[in-house]
Amino acid sequence: MTRHECPEDGLRDRKIDERALIAAISRRDRRAFTVLYRHYHPRLNGYLRRMLANAAIADEVYDDVMFVVWQDAGKYRGDAAVSSWIFGIAYRKALSALRREGRHQAPVDRNTDTNLLPASAPGDNELLNAGLAALSPDHRQVVELTYFCGFSYKEIAEIADCPVNTVKTRMFHARRRLKYLLPRLAGDCKEKRHGRA
Amino acid sequence: MAEPDRISHEQAVELLPWLANDTLDADEVDAVKQHASSCVVCRHELAQLEALARSLEPSSGSLRTPLPDMRNINARIDEFIEQKGRTRKQLSKLRDWFDNSWRLAFITQSVIMVALVGGWLLTRPPEPSFSTLSTPQPLPNGHYLRVVFEPNLDASGLSELLQRNHLSIVQGPSERGVYTLRFDASLSPADREQITDGLTRNVDVLFAQPIASGAER
Repeated sequence: MTRHECPEDGLRDRKIDERALIAAISRRDRRAFTVLYRHYHPRLNGYLRRMLANAAIADEVYDDVMFVVWQDAGKYRGDAAVSSWIFGIAYRKALSALRREGRHQAPVDRNTDTNLLPASAPGDNELLNAGLAALSPDHRQVVELTYFCGFSYKEIAEIADCPVNTVKTRMFHARRRLKYLLPRLAGDCKEKRHGRA
Repeated sequence: MAEPDRISHEQAVELLPWLANDTLDADEVDAVKQHASSCVVCRHELAQLEALARSLEPSSGSLRTPLPDMRNINARIDEFIEQKGRTRKQLSKLRDWFDNSWRLAFITQSVIMVALVGGWLLTRPPEPSFSTLSTPQPLPNGHYLRVVFEPNLDASGLSELLQRNHLSIVQGPSERGVYTLRFDASLSPADREQITDGLTRNVDVLFAQPIASGAER
């Protein structure tokens, strides 16, 4: 049974039985829903904020995800971990939101696209975020789910509803693209700084 | 202790990201680590991926966020529950209505009646259609007359009258005894006018009037 540390609401040090919560939610238990909502908020909302780069939209999508959880808790069969099921809903909602917002793969052209470059002197994280923003949504999701959310490749396959080999391939391409992008983005930033000086 | 399964360089490279985030199975960890111990490329790659993992890993502070605002989601759930309640109430009313045995018998009877009438209408053979000389038909191009003959005119008299005036029957008689006659194509307009005049004066003809060419009767 999947158990996670709950970081909030006086439950920080208590173990959460997510399957029991889902079972209670399927019986329309509002308190169980509140616990699950708060329990998932830091990690899932953080993931959505990273993917969507807009806090207001991420909050809205988080509510959409949790509303589906409330409605469909009775349909959860327990084949996958609760976290995979919930992140699977979030994965699809995030992709839809990205499509709706018209933010597909950001083009990376070192001559024209200066939006990717942080205005001030960039730290490693800013550079990395700029590189991640230039990945396709599918590739970026795999990187974020792996490193920000800490999922295994098998769990990501469940979340994205695709074969494990597809996950590995997406990660491979994402790494290759980041290797190509990061030195160039770093180079551009240096040039920009020297230009300003 | 069992020797870990050997894996290829490509397989190891694919699994490195999840060695870096510490989610591989124990046997996969052993296999990848064993490969990496003898592969400089993989060790270098793993170091980069571990740095990436550290950069993206949420800090413990970021996970201790203030309590999220649940007003919106609670409002949505309240509305959902209310709507479900309304639907359930309507269904329950409908069920109560059907629970009355007289109503149920009446509805069943009505449904059976509708089904029978519908079935009869669908399976009824189509009305036969007849076509007679009196059935209105479009006329081909030509010159025509509408004529009503004296009822006592016999067949031989009619035949002789038609022959004499270069006419032939194309339609009729209608319910009112109207015939449609066609002039011989060789006749001139003057001939046709003369024949029409002759017919209107003929005692065996009650009525004669030319009609436009190609018109329907």
